[in-house]
Amino acid sequence: MSTPTATATTPLEPAAPPPEAGTRKVRSIALTVLRTLAPVLVALVVGGLVLQASGINPLAVYELMLTHAFGTREGLAGTLTSATPVLFTGVATAVSFRAGVFSLGAEAGFVLGGLTAAWLAVAVSGPVPVVTVLAMAGAVLAGALFSVVPAALKTQLGVDEVVSTLMFTFVATGLVGWLVNGYLLAPGQANSSTETVPFSLPRLLPPSSLNIGFVIAVVLVAAYWIFLRRTSAGADLHHVGVNARFAAAQGIPVNRVVFLAMVATGAIAALGGAVHALGVVGKFVVGGFSAQYGFTGIAVALLARRSAWGLIPAAVMFGAFANAGTTIQLFDNIPLDIVDVLQGTVMVFAVASFAQLFRRRRSVA
Amino acid sequence: MAMATTTARIGAERISRRFGAVQALSDVTFSVTERTIHALLGENGAGKTTLIRALSGLDQPDDGWVISRGERVRFSGPREAFTSGIAVVQQELALSPNLTLLENLVLGTEPARAGVIDWRTARVRAEEIAESIGARIPWDRRAGDVEIGTQQQLEIIRCLYRGADTLILDEPSAVLAPAQIDRLLRLLTELREQGNTIILITHKLDEALRVADEVTVLRGGRVVTTQAADELDRPTLSELIVGEDLQQVRAPRTAPPGEVVLEVDQVQLAGRQRPVGPVSFQVSEGEIFGVAGVAGNGQEDLVEALIGLRPCRGGAIRFDGRDITTASVGARRAAGVGYISGDRRHEGLSITEPLVDNVAIGSHHSPPLARRGWFSPGAARRHAADILRRFRVRHGRVTDPASMLSGGNQQKLVFGREISKRPRLLVAAQPTRGVDLRGISELQQELVQARDNGTAIVLVSQELDELLALSDRVLVMFHGKPAGIFDPAEPDARARIGRAMLGQRSGTEVSS
Repeated sequence: MSTPTATATTPLEPAAPPPEAGTRKVRSIALTVLRTLAPVLVALVVGGLVLQASGINPLAVYELMLTHAFGTREGLAGTLTSATPVLFTGVATAVSFRAGVFSLGAEAGFVLGGLTAAWLAVAVSGPVPVVTVLAMAGAVLAGALFSVVPAALKTQLGVDEVVSTLMFTFVATGLVGWLVNGYLLAPGQANSSTETVPFSLPRLLPPSSLNIGFVIAVVLVAAYWIFLRRTSAGADLHHVGVNARFAAAQGIPVNRVVFLAMVATGAIAALGGAVHALGVVGKFVVGGFSAQYGFTGIAVALLARRSAWGLIPAAVMFGAFANAGTTIQLFDNIPLDIVDVLQGTVMVFAVASFAQLFRRRRSVA
Repeated sequence: MAMATTTARIGAERISRRFGAVQALSDVTFSVTERTIHALLGENGAGKTTLIRALSGLDQPDDGWVISRGERVRFSGPREAFTSGIAVVQQELALSPNLTLLENLVLGTEPARAGVIDWRTARVRAEEIAESIGARIPWDRRAGDVEIGTQQQLEIIRCLYRGADTLILDEPSAVLAPAQIDRLLRLLTELREQGNTIILITHKLDEALRVADEVTVLRGGRVVTTQAADELDRPTLSELIVGEDLQQVRAPRTAPPGEVVLEVDQVQLAGRQRPVGPVSFQVSEGEIFGVAGVAGNGQEDLVEALIGLRPCRGGAIRFDGRDITTASVGARRAAGVGYISGDRRHEGLSITEPLVDNVAIGSHHSPPLARRGWFSPGAARRHAADILRRFRVRHGRVTDPASMLSGGNQQKLVFGREISKRPRLLVAAQPTRGVDLRGISELQQELVQARDNGTAIVLVSQELDELLALSDRVLVMFHGKPAGIFDPAEPDARARIGRAMLGQRSGTEVSS
């Protein structure tokens, strides 16, 4: 019976001359930047109100934060160091998001990868480059294997990924605590940690701890971008995420793609954990290794929307917050909590669809 | 029929409505007397939905008037229609599954005292209405926990609760089991006794004949007849609905059919509504095998089984002699099965995605679009532009989203994507649905040409005309079971297929 109504869709008449391809590209990039910045701007306004209410000049605080996050060589190095783990977990999460899966598996992968790398780097002896690669490969394998279970639960039994990956975060946390305390505890240490790794990833700006891990993360973003645009498997991932029913009808193995995406999330996050263990911490510390990097990675992926390159500025911003936070502590009249307020507000508004707001207004007008 | 306009509770006076090239309603006049049940019958696309959308204020006719209480009115929207007592009970029930039936009933119109919902008043009133029409409603159970027949009764009571006296029911029995249907029909009779007026839209002739006082038949957007129900019988009615005039030219096969391509052997499925099968048939090279049936009789499930989206519970599907019963969609497509989905906007296309992606999908793993897993966007654009041109899709840029195309052009894109792969077997479900008349004939030509190129085609359609014009044989599905295979060239094929679609056994059948 729907015959008549369905034909009433938009007729195809070239309404306006098509803009130059170049202009369109610029406009679409500008739009992406704007979309990414909108939540940040809102967060700054909200944070400003909080500061103002506390009797502190927000602009002065923001200037201080900006200077300390980006203004100096040390500050910039600190910001990029803090951005590195969340860039890894951001890419990791973005892969699942692309498949239309809201995986929270990055935290578990990050922690497991960190422990695996810290353990292998101590346990295996050999030339440093070889041990480094081995430790990273081991971490990736551990992260991938651990993600197999929630991925299989999702694709075989239809278990919601939010539930399973969240629960498996707790499993991972418990697992590493048991492994460290039971088998890998370094003697003579105050907190539960593994032995210190005898080497570190190459530093980029000594004496800061910014290391080659940041470069690896950026390369990973580039690889992800190329994967999406230039590989058939990337197209599969894209179609599954946009419209799984359509993808299935065209012969794309939807379940396999979802499964692999979830496993990739764990594997990529684990590589981030390995970089963090070998480059910054130098060991695995139970409870103190990950400052919820997996969950900040979700915010990074959300903030970047569907853009691969957008992951980098999003991660750098969270890195800047974290880095500036440590500086702000030095000024006793500024509440440190302001950093949490800013981060939290960004996360909330990262999920908000500002585009929808604009669309609705336009249709009313 | 001569009905004095003064007694008309609701009706239409010379209503016409056009959508693009489709004249959905032309000059429709009918009137429903107060306190009667009026059945509105017609095939899919006959204009029933458009008519009730006009009567209930959901759509404005181009021409003519809606009649309410004997007067010409113009409803600006459904709210205004409701204010004059006219309510529609949709096929898709809009209840909140987690609320109790009583909560659902009062939702949006809660009787309140000092801001607090007055549940006692609500319950008394609800029980009053239910009792008056002989319905028993478990008010405190959650809507999601009660059977669909009860949900439907609640929906009806909700209309009355809000003050409606004229109910338009859109295929209410389509989702019900036989026993529930009996209850519904009793309820309708009771509603009439209580002074309500009812328009019943249905596919099922028995129901119409059992409860209706009058029957109006629509065909091709026109009123064929309005008659008292007791003057009608089933054969007459089904002939009136289907029509006898064959307007379309047959496009018969010229070459004899070749080898058997598809062999469906005692296939059984768990269907959406009910188990489907066992069903068996064979389709050969250069043959169009039509599948007819009223929506929901299992043909949709069968289509999904053929392409691999729905697992078989029994039997076997063979393609070129190979068993593909458990093969994936990807494997079947790779072997040469094409698929035109009946749900173009959700399954046939990724409607928000660029044209190029919609054309390239399925070819994006192999040359020339990809080599060793590396995908070439440039090659994809050239491929898409080529197909869009060859299949005469009117389009803007290849990067425009598919939603920017008209329905007909969207479907031409789908045809282009599928037919350009030169499939051995093409499964086409509702290939011309939602397409204007010119588009329909172009698409049908494409099917005929694919057949002439040797493709075996399974054509599932709600349009009997289309099936009769294009098919070499027509399988009729009824209640999930095959109800015969017919030769559309036989003079009385249309009537016999029409009867079989409604579950009436017929004599001769051609063998598969």
